[in-house]
Amino acid sequence: MGRRLDHVWSAAVYLLTALAVLALAFVLYFIVHEALPTFQEVSLADFLLGQRWMPVDYTGETAFGIFNFIAATLYVSVVAMVLALAVGLGAAIFLSCVAGERGRSILYPFVDLLAGIPSVVYGFIGLVVLVKIFLRAGVHTGSCVLAAGILLAIMLLPYLVSACSESILRAREQYLPAAEAMGISRWHVVATILLPASWKNILLSMVLAIGRAMGETMAVMMVIGNANLFPTLLGKSESIAAVIALEMGTAVVDSTHYHALYAAGLVLLMLLVIINVGIGVLREKVLR
Amino acid sequence: MGWRGHLTRLWAYGSMVLVAGVVVFLFAFVFYEGSSVISWEFLTQAPRGAVLGEEGGIWPAIAGSLCFTATAVVLGGIPAIATALFLVFYCRRRRVSGLIRLVVQCISGIPSIVLGLFAYSFLVRDLQWGRCILSAGVALGIMILPFIEVRAEKAFRELPVQMVRSSYALGCSRAYTIWKIVLPACRGELVSGIILGGCYAMGATAPMIFTGAVAYAGVPSSVMEPAMALPLHLYLLVAQGATSMDTAYGTAFVMMAILLVSNLLATIYARRSQRKWKRV
Repeated sequence: MGRRLDHVWSAAVYLLTALAVLALAFVLYFIVHEALPTFQEVSLADFLLGQRWMPVDYTGETAFGIFNFIAATLYVSVVAMVLALAVGLGAAIFLSCVAGERGRSILYPFVDLLAGIPSVVYGFIGLVVLVKIFLRAGVHTGSCVLAAGILLAIMLLPYLVSACSESILRAREQYLPAAEAMGISRWHVVATILLPASWKNILLSMVLAIGRAMGETMAVMMVIGNANLFPTLLGKSESIAAVIALEMGTAVVDSTHYHALYAAGLVLLMLLVIINVGIGVLREKVLR
Repeated sequence: MGWRGHLTRLWAYGSMVLVAGVVVFLFAFVFYEGSSVISWEFLTQAPRGAVLGEEGGIWPAIAGSLCFTATAVVLGGIPAIATALFLVFYCRRRRVSGLIRLVVQCISGIPSIVLGLFAYSFLVRDLQWGRCILSAGVALGIMILPFIEVRAEKAFRELPVQMVRSSYALGCSRAYTIWKIVLPACRGELVSGIILGGCYAMGATAPMIFTGAVAYAGVPSSVMEPAMALPLHLYLLVAQGATSMDTAYGTAFVMMAILLVSNLLATIYARRSQRKWKRV
């Protein structure tokens, strides 16, 4: 390869990297730029804490309060997290302490199949299976926060299972031989030594999973009922992502409604960035 | 063994059975319900019917989805791999690499619906591209850029250092080393990362609702046209209700089948080629 070609190649790498980073930075800038005009109309406190969302003035004054949407987003994510942890951690214990090397090499990709299913298919299955079950159990229309939570929990499982079983495996290598040499039964070791020892890492993967859950749009939107209500387990509600997906098509460009949807997106983004950066800081502290 | 041990054992076995049950159920359910809809006509015809899609097939949606995915992979994959190469082999200043990482991390945190919002306002409206494959492809490309970058960077870093150092020591240039040593050695991971990123883009609905996917269109002939897409088609079939439910199962079947096969291929290919260079 000639020297000139060499230079061309290096220049291409520099250029493409610059392009990628600039494009990404521009996306961030653009979102903030489109969100800010909202706050000329609505105060930040009203926006974040208001419970009325009346983007169009058919029947009275407009109002832009996304408190219920924020609450719903967090509520669904936490419900999903708790459910996913209850099952995922158990499965992680199985994978790390019962299944051998061979078993793991089959079961990991098997569980990972869940990550490959598109969210709209999850929403579809949720609608034709979960919502029907809830309807039969006496929940009005069947759509509810719990249904969305269960769906999200299934979507989180692959991430949680692989992260948890990795950290338990590490603890196992460290402690199990010594404990077994002392004649303590394996399951007692798992319950009293391995789980407490890997607790911090499990916590980290939980936070990461919550971040994933919060940004999820389609699956949640299809089963949560989409009504601006404060979330309760068996009631309807609406997440931030769902509001954006449902209303963006009808929002008049450059209206307060339009900017408010951007602002809602920005709030969601801020929540996620706080979580991501928090994890980075936490990881450095925990692992050292 | 104390009660805590027994309880943990019960928990572990119970959870694993439940997780495996869920996986089997999801695939079995879709494949069972969808298999009766699948026929040659369903795969090759355009949707028809009073309620669009209750009759006919989904060929334009399959073709459209492939176009969206291909655009996204080209627009997202190439810069992603370039960024990973830059971070591993070119960048010497920690502050620069830290900044790049921060930006990439922020973008991977952006929910896909917000990316759709961005593409809608900036590309569809401000740049007047209109709803087209390219607009949605950019949104999807940005979405999968961090996904591919992280995998590519991991692959480059896991390469034995001595391979790269030996090449430098023999007087080979950086570009030559990357072309002849790094890229061939990491081919498996790169290809599987790109395929998985493509699957991720193919299944995503939120970024293309406003930017390029429409309820009905023919097979697209250029990237400046709107097109149908499998996930949006599925969503609309479900939203329309009872009469289009059968074809919804069929559409879900096709999507899951495509994703399952490409996932398998990616995994197998990555394992194969990894073994190859580890043996050397």
